[in-house]
Amino acid sequence: MKVLQQAWAYLTDGSHWSGTEGMGALLGQQLLITVTALALALLVGLPVALWLGHLGRGGFAAINISNIGRAIPTFALLALLVTADWPGTAEFGPYGRAGLATLLALTAFALPPIITNAYVAVDEVADDVKESARGMGMTAFQLFRRVELPLALPLVASGIRVALVQVWATATIAALVAGPGLGRVITDGFANTDYGKGIAGAMVVAAVALVLELVAAAVQAAVSQQPDTRGRLATGHRR
Amino acid sequence: MQFRRLLATGLAAGALLLTAACAGDDLNSNPSDGSSSPTAKGSLTISGQDWYEAAIVANMYKELLTASGYDVSMTLVGTRDIYMAKGQFPSGVDVVPEYVGGLIDFLNAQANGSEVEPISSADAAATIAAGQSLLDAKGITLLDPSTATDTNAFFVSKEYAAANGLANLSDLAGKDVVLAAAPDCKGRSDCEGGLKDTYGINITKLLPLGFASEQTYQSVLDGESQLGETQTTDGTVDAQGAVLLADDKGIQPAGNLVPAVSTEFLAAHPDVADTLNALMAALTTEKLAELNAKVSVDRAKPEDVAHAFLVEAGLV
Repeated sequence: MKVLQQAWAYLTDGSHWSGTEGMGALLGQQLLITVTALALALLVGLPVALWLGHLGRGGFAAINISNIGRAIPTFALLALLVTADWPGTAEFGPYGRAGLATLLALTAFALPPIITNAYVAVDEVADDVKESARGMGMTAFQLFRRVELPLALPLVASGIRVALVQVWATATIAALVAGPGLGRVITDGFANTDYGKGIAGAMVVAAVALVLELVAAAVQAAVSQQPDTRGRLATGHRR
Repeated sequence: MQFRRLLATGLAAGALLLTAACAGDDLNSNPSDGSSSPTAKGSLTISGQDWYEAAIVANMYKELLTASGYDVSMTLVGTRDIYMAKGQFPSGVDVVPEYVGGLIDFLNAQANGSEVEPISSADAAATIAAGQSLLDAKGITLLDPSTATDTNAFFVSKEYAAANGLANLSDLAGKDVVLAAAPDCKGRSDCEGGLKDTYGINITKLLPLGFASEQTYQSVLDGESQLGETQTTDGTVDAQGAVLLADDKGIQPAGNLVPAVSTEFLAAHPDVADTLNALMAALTTEKLAELNAKVSVDRAKPEDVAHAFLVEAGLV
């Protein structure tokens, strides 16, 4: 495959990685935007979802409202945001052209898995466990903090992990509004019939997605090991 | 199980697509209503590109040739590669509405590889002369090129033009300019490369926002960029508050409209030349821009716009 050879040649040429428009800088930019969008989504989505899960109410509404972020194509939302007066296409600090619009669009995209998982995780903590906790005299906050949250953590983490990888790969659409990130390598490559370059960009995005997935999986495995609660609950509470 | 289900879905979708494609073929190969075909001169196939300007011109061809007695079938496609493929033009397709520079450079790239230097120039006659051997080898005859020409063009906002006294691209020489253009603009002699090297404009940044796109206009009108890329036949420039700068140093290859006809078909049907040459003589760049706006802005149908023009020009 000639194209793959061209892609390899593109990847192994150091000059393509250096400089302000090189892949190194673009990769950093895309990581920054991914992490920021994820952090924003966590800030907005996690407290609401966890609390509603604790109450066991309002989850249907929260999940469906957040699912709008999935139903509207992220590119459509981005296109809409850049045409509006605010946030528009203005440079936004290290996020580059249309940075704010890109962040908002990606945040909306990150919300559904975070909210859905967090709500379900807390809501599905077994009733008898909660009852026992209350029987021991725990307050609502203690119940949430010491019982529900630890039990919910693995599922919450898996939602965040899904969101992280999705946002990373989707962040390439910023290139369609001349925004930040590695999408530029892909669009430039295909626009100039330099397919090797386009494929090279896609390969870097895919490789980083795998790395992020592995790192996130390791983190998830770490937080899922909660010997004090899980160990005890594992016996005698089979349903 | 999973795989089988996928396969079944794929097959079903494929079958649907096939059905749709066949239906489309039937529609396309149906001769037009046939209300007025006085003398049957035989069948004639037109192909061409399907974007609005090419579609308007192709519909003019279709109506004129139908009126002169041909049984015309027309299929418009996305890119030149499709109708220039083996078995299409000039063997399966007889007539294609073309652009001088675009066609010659395409044939050149096809014959000598995509890395080859373009042989087109700003002059239509010179470009045709340079490409004559390629045309002969392929069996294509070009009729008379029109004065109507569609090439890349560059616009600035009216305020920026007034503030800096701009009318030609050469007025921008030495200035720092941000350019909003198609993503393939970088380095091209008819785009960023030519603006830099021939005009001496200092392009500080190239925003790949698209050819004549909403985003390109927005960027120029907002003042984020100063120069935007569009085409000479863009009928919306003035209404959007922008103005075209003249290509006074001629970096654009000749984009004159020209009918490309299969040499063999033309030998058997020489009257096609008179019909289409009359149309080429009637078209101008300004007229084409006006017609384009009717389709791209007012959402009129290409065939209606084509018909209205032919009536107005007295060609039918």
